[in-house]
Amino acid sequence: MKLTEAWRLSSLPYREVVYRSLAQERNRMWWGSFGRKSANKDSADDVELSKKALRIAKFDKIIIALFNLVVAIIPFSSFFFGSTAFGLSSSVSLSLAITFGFMTLYAIQTLSSFVSTDSSVLLSTLPVSQDDFSLITLFSFVRSVDYLVVGSILCQVILVAYLTLSPLAAALMFVASLINSVFAVTVALWLSRVFHKNYLRGGRSKRTTVFRDLFVLLWGCLLMGVGLLLSVPYYILPILDNTLQSANVLVGFLLSLFFPFSAGLLVSQLSGSIIPLFTTFGALAAMIFYVLGAWFSGKWSLGTVKLIAQGTGVKIDRSRAIDFQIKTSSPLRGYVMKDLRVTSRNPATAFFFVLPIFETVIVAFLASNVEFLRASTVLVATSMGAIFALLIPLALLNSEGKGIEYAKTLPITSQRMVSAKALITTLTFFPVPVALFCLALFKPPNSWFTVLIPFFMVISIVSARSLRF
Amino acid sequence: MVEIRDGIIYIKLGVGLSGELAVEPLVEVSGVSVRFGSFLALDNLSLRVMPGEVFGLLGPNGAGKTTTIKVLMGLVAASFGNVKVCGFNPLLEPVAVKSRIGYVAENSIVYESLSPRDFFEFVVSMRNIDSVSANRVVSRLADVFDLAQYFDSPIATLSMGLKQKVALIAAFIHQPPVLLLDEPLNGLDAKSSRVVKDLMSLHVQRGGAVLFSTHIMEIAEQLCTRIGIIDHGKVVAVGTLDQLRSKTDGKGSSLEDLFLKLTNEESAVAERSRMLREAFFSNETH
Repeated sequence: MKLTEAWRLSSLPYREVVYRSLAQERNRMWWGSFGRKSANKDSADDVELSKKALRIAKFDKIIIALFNLVVAIIPFSSFFFGSTAFGLSSSVSLSLAITFGFMTLYAIQTLSSFVSTDSSVLLSTLPVSQDDFSLITLFSFVRSVDYLVVGSILCQVILVAYLTLSPLAAALMFVASLINSVFAVTVALWLSRVFHKNYLRGGRSKRTTVFRDLFVLLWGCLLMGVGLLLSVPYYILPILDNTLQSANVLVGFLLSLFFPFSAGLLVSQLSGSIIPLFTTFGALAAMIFYVLGAWFSGKWSLGTVKLIAQGTGVKIDRSRAIDFQIKTSSPLRGYVMKDLRVTSRNPATAFFFVLPIFETVIVAFLASNVEFLRASTVLVATSMGAIFALLIPLALLNSEGKGIEYAKTLPITSQRMVSAKALITTLTFFPVPVALFCLALFKPPNSWFTVLIPFFMVISIVSARSLRF
Repeated sequence: MVEIRDGIIYIKLGVGLSGELAVEPLVEVSGVSVRFGSFLALDNLSLRVMPGEVFGLLGPNGAGKTTTIKVLMGLVAASFGNVKVCGFNPLLEPVAVKSRIGYVAENSIVYESLSPRDFFEFVVSMRNIDSVSANRVVSRLADVFDLAQYFDSPIATLSMGLKQKVALIAAFIHQPPVLLLDEPLNGLDAKSSRVVKDLMSLHVQRGGAVLFSTHIMEIAEQLCTRIGIIDHGKVVAVGTLDQLRSKTDGKGSSLEDLFLKLTNEESAVAERSRMLREAFFSNETH
């Protein structure tokens, strides 16, 4: 099969993935009223909905790609403002690290649809050879991250070419960006697979429950770690720059062995910076190693996508239930428990379980450099918590998916559903005022009244329960 | 005790499943129209389902069967007409109606990331059922439907038939007076189909009512006390199988024949069969 033909056909499974993920989450606010207008019609508007899903996915990809461009440019911004405070090696390294994190984060959100075989069911019934089938599936997989990958590679290569005026440095940056993208997609695919396998494990033993909870926490920490990398590059840049410019040859050599520092150091060397020969050789050897690594991880991704498409990649564990006992609870508690369970089993939303820890860390981080707890620190911490509080209902609604259609057939009011979500949101916001209050005991605030500000915010979050949808 | 009103015989069956006196129809739809934009999904539709009755709703694809069930659930608002389930209006008193209905949707929509155990816990909590009776019903039905191996697996990993079993157990869990089942036997194996049919029979014997939609004529013929044939959003005929036969002068004919006659599809089906024969076998005959 010709590559162009395979690319054309790959729109079929891609369309299926896009449509399914949107149709299952038709209540998500971001998408407006996707599918809602035609909820009462059987399938008359399916074609229109599918087109709309593709338009939404395209818009989504463009926005994400633009945002990725911005975060890729930020580490280079000092060069455009006439400052040479930071070296090219740290800018290149950080730009690669940030785009890696962002691409991984985005791919984890979108690739979860790929780890099930649903999207290739129709394709697998057609008379297409196994190799062509794998190629088509691979292309459909590439389609979901194409703008993001192409955008970040182009942006980084153009920036390096502009700043160094060296074709060799630009070529090296191209290789480094490509490796970076391959690693990002491979890591995202691997993590999605791990999450999916864990999710399919099932079972209700204490060991399984503890393992699953631990996994969700680690998952959240990982995603939040990437988020931290995205949100605080200017905190990291000076530290990174000092380390890379370190007079200690051993530190420089050790860093040169790790991607993306090896790429940063080599690009910097090609642009005329003076870097010890020992470190340059280390970086070169490491880059060759990473090129090979990217080749093998690319092959692994290809193989994995192939296995997923064939439906042989995931083993479902069926352990026989010892009893059929079920626990009963009040409707509100039941709905909260359901929300927590459903959210923890969705790779795109499971991150929020780690928010209370994350918020506490950020609050401590914000207050670490000040002698007194100022009103501005309290306000920044409260705003950060409020932004997360805005994200939680979105995540909870997303994870409801089609299930909300079932919930509507149960004897509960929409207010109870909202109450459950408001309660979870309040609980995730609560660490902010508590952490600030605890900090205030060690770092006296200008006025104790300021510490009460986030507590007032709790009232406004709780008041969300009076809303209806 | 027998009472005749509006040409309908009301039989007092005593205390129903929910502990209420069942003298009224459990499901009553009169003159209901539903419009989606320019499309008239239900057109002045009326039907009644009495306690102790299995009412089969038959119709071609897109006839309005699912919409009728959704109107009864209060999921779709009627543009005109009145709807009552167990004496309550589904739009004005949705909680009262939904607590008296066991509903199985056409595509067994459930929370797919939950296991059946998690899902039943959720349903039982929402319905505020006491632990003892909930566990009794779930244990028995899960055992009957052979769910042991799948009880703690995510529903997403189950086959269509197993998902249907989960949806059916969730519909029976609170032993409601009214069962609204949209294609309840979809994907079920022979044994489970038999179990569901028996459950429906037992349910009506205890004074409950079942309204179910199907397009499998044999099932309707076997199970239904009365049958309503619906086409283009209108009820074209209602009655027992014998009453439908007498209406169409189709003595001894099957429900499928009656259905085609009543929906004026007989000649269209014959024409399509002829076209298919020509398309597939014309080469052989030549």
